[in-house]
Amino acid sequence: MLNFIVRRLIQVPLVMLVLSLFIVGLTQLLTPEQRAAGFIRSDQQAARLEQIIEERGLRDPFVVQYGNWLGSTLRGDLGFSRASGQDVLQTIRERLPNTVELTLLTALPILLLGVWLGTLSALHKDKLIDQVLRVLTILGYSLPSFVLGIVLLAVFYGYLGWLPGAGQVSIVNQFALGDLRRYTGLLSLDAALNGRWDIAWDVLQHLILPAATLTVINAATIVKVMRNNMLEALTSDYVRTARAKGLSSRVVNNKHARRNALLTIVTLGGFLIINLLSGSLITEFIFGYPGVGLWMVEAGLRLDIPAVLGFGLLSALIVVIVSTVVDILYGVVDPRVRFD
Amino acid sequence: MKKFALLSTLLLVGSAFAAAPRDTLVVQQAADIPTLDPGVTYDTASGAIVENMYETLLTYRGNSVRDLEPLLATRVPTATNGGRTYTFDLRRNVKFHTGNTMTCRDAEYSFERNLVTNSAESGNWFISESLLGTGSNANDDKTITWARIDRAVECNNAGQLVFTLPKVDPAFLAKLAYTGQSIVDSKHAIAIGEWKGTEADWKSFVGKDLTDSALNKQPSGTGAYRLVRRDANATLLQAFDGYWGKKPAIRNVIIQKVPEIAARQQAFLRGDADLIEGGGRSVDEQQIKGKPGVVWLDNLPNTVGTAIFMNQRIQDPGLLGSGKLDGRGIPANFFSDVNVRRAFSHAFNYQQYIRDVQQGKGKQRTMLLPDSFPGYDPEVKTYTFDAAKARQYFQRAWGGNVWKNGFTLTANYRAGSVPAQTAMEILKRNIESLNPKFKVNVQQKQWSEMLADSKNGKEAMIVLGWAPDYADPDNFIHTFYHSSGYYAPRSNFKDASVDKWIDQARATVNTAQRNRLYSLVGNRAYEQAPYILVPAGVNYTFHRNNLQGVSAATYNPMTSFEDTGTLWKDLSKR
Repeated sequence: MLNFIVRRLIQVPLVMLVLSLFIVGLTQLLTPEQRAAGFIRSDQQAARLEQIIEERGLRDPFVVQYGNWLGSTLRGDLGFSRASGQDVLQTIRERLPNTVELTLLTALPILLLGVWLGTLSALHKDKLIDQVLRVLTILGYSLPSFVLGIVLLAVFYGYLGWLPGAGQVSIVNQFALGDLRRYTGLLSLDAALNGRWDIAWDVLQHLILPAATLTVINAATIVKVMRNNMLEALTSDYVRTARAKGLSSRVVNNKHARRNALLTIVTLGGFLIINLLSGSLITEFIFGYPGVGLWMVEAGLRLDIPAVLGFGLLSALIVVIVSTVVDILYGVVDPRVRFD
Repeated sequence: MKKFALLSTLLLVGSAFAAAPRDTLVVQQAADIPTLDPGVTYDTASGAIVENMYETLLTYRGNSVRDLEPLLATRVPTATNGGRTYTFDLRRNVKFHTGNTMTCRDAEYSFERNLVTNSAESGNWFISESLLGTGSNANDDKTITWARIDRAVECNNAGQLVFTLPKVDPAFLAKLAYTGQSIVDSKHAIAIGEWKGTEADWKSFVGKDLTDSALNKQPSGTGAYRLVRRDANATLLQAFDGYWGKKPAIRNVIIQKVPEIAARQQAFLRGDADLIEGGGRSVDEQQIKGKPGVVWLDNLPNTVGTAIFMNQRIQDPGLLGSGKLDGRGIPANFFSDVNVRRAFSHAFNYQQYIRDVQQGKGKQRTMLLPDSFPGYDPEVKTYTFDAAKARQYFQRAWGGNVWKNGFTLTANYRAGSVPAQTAMEILKRNIESLNPKFKVNVQQKQWSEMLADSKNGKEAMIVLGWAPDYADPDNFIHTFYHSSGYYAPRSNFKDASVDKWIDQARATVNTAQRNRLYSLVGNRAYEQAPYILVPAGVNYTFHRNNLQGVSAATYNPMTSFEDTGTLWKDLSKR
């Protein structure tokens, strides 16, 4: 097991190197003018286009440009992100915990809800509850997150006023944030550790709508897959054998059928967490939630190349780590898969 | 049920705290704030904050873009030495946010820093043009030496700041009102690792991009507000207790980043935000105007000049079709015939554009110069939509061949720009209705490509605008009409008289004389029709009704904080 983890971690720098070559290489398909456009915000600045290209070395050969980037990166400098107005590393340091916080609050409900409803649906195949769940799944599956997000925002914030709007904390708490000692980077947790329960509650309230949006959209897929897996498991030989042995339905369904049905969910769960940690782009954008997803949308729109590269490397790191965890979990769920 | 009631109560308690407090101004916007260093501030989002943290020597008086008044200076100086020397007395006992006292040395350092760095991203090229005679920095122009920079701006023995220009520049004082020319705290800047202010390290700062400078992270100005904190979500500022001027009524300012317009609108309508970045006139009129608690302020001045370019020397054969007047293309110099340009100018339906794009709130200008600017002559004639006249001019153009053979023209607009697309489509429809042999292809193009191609004179017909750096007519007139102006490669308009008048206007500080020269330019431009003048939109803004201090009488279009057209210190809430 340890060997497996070490092998995986050794792959990380290699994956990142290839990825960075790929991204920097792709940017070379753009003209120097197109790349310089990322530095321009007005017609007046456009008048300085040639100087910007010159100063940034955007006409230099690929090897030189990549070498410059790699040299800085190896020195720990990932460059300046114009989309965040900060260094890339600082941006990640500041925003990733916010995305982690959203992921923590979202991933578990999605998985639990998905597994529970999927099981429920399969066990009541073609009954009313199954029909209702299937309709809801299709709705959740086909609803674009920007539509659902805006509707939830308009209803629960705009119309009912039950929940706060965009951002991470309310106006009254904005100034108090500066006094908080940061332990974990997770704002709600840090606020609680500082004894500021009001801020912690405020942060959690701000997380409800984005988390609900992500839950509805993502849980639908899990429900769908879980239902299909359960139906398949329930008709398999080993379940029939278990029933024939006189085991109770509860034990057969939960221990025998569901455990096997969970295998695909582990894989899906890995992808889900990768997606959530890499930033739920649209949801963070709609709710003005200051995570890495919002940063990435803006970086993409502005052709912020240092940010795109930094985000690419971060994503690669997340993919390798989460994939490793998923592979280990596979072994836990399925005794046939072991790494020792 | 009990659980539900508890949950609802908690949620409602939470939301009860949401509304913007009375001493706090809450602004929600989609725009990011690239920098807080005045040395590289060249966009309104940065400028809107920098202008409240820092101060310039001079500023605009009230809502005027013509009259300047002193800010950190004690009076507006008159030029001496044949118009080449300006001597400023500086306000005393002014403190920076760090507690340092402002001296003449700070002012000298600030201007020298702008001349030394003068990076491509900054607007320092125009102050460099005034003080060094070139917009370049020392990397691009080897004639720039430390001695020249040092001589250009100095403190004399009486503690006065003295600017020595290589030649007369009537726009110089207006340039000083630009936020990028704010006075920075030199002791603080040097202490945190910025340029030392001497010859010793000036070379290493030439062309340096200051966007992420140490001063950007730890700003210190003399303005009424100081930075408290900046994170991914918000920029927080607080009234500076040591401010030399009147104490502001608004204590806290929060600039929140909310990219989604629906979220901003909800916050505004609920009163959680006092001001928000809108979604354009049609969206805002429909979704904001007339709603409870909203004050709508219309008919405000607009300082952007927009034109449809008619390139008289098209360098891209790909846009010329057959390259001949045979109905299947155009020659590269198609627009060099004044009759073609006049015909196009009469074929544009200005009122339809105002109706369709500007929701009836637009104004036809006489020149490519904001009508609020000095030098604007309202008496210059304007083109009107007149199909008969357009037909007449087309019949005269190119010895009658245009009318006889027809043409195929390709016009490009910036991808995603609905106003530009609509303008082109209005023109296309009207032109094609004049003669079945006339064909105008309208296609969209990415901005970056258009920037590069238009710079090289490759575009035949495009829509471009210009917003002012400083309120001097030269900033527009030279840009659009001079044969060496910034837009010259895009239009290839060259008129010896116009060039001469613009050069003469640049060389005198006599306002009456300059106005007369600009009128001449305007009249000649009407005759020569180098551009189709796109009607200027009428500006508007909206705010919550408890916010005080926003009105047409106080709205200055040169202020970067376009939400109110004022500085925050002039606002209050009830």
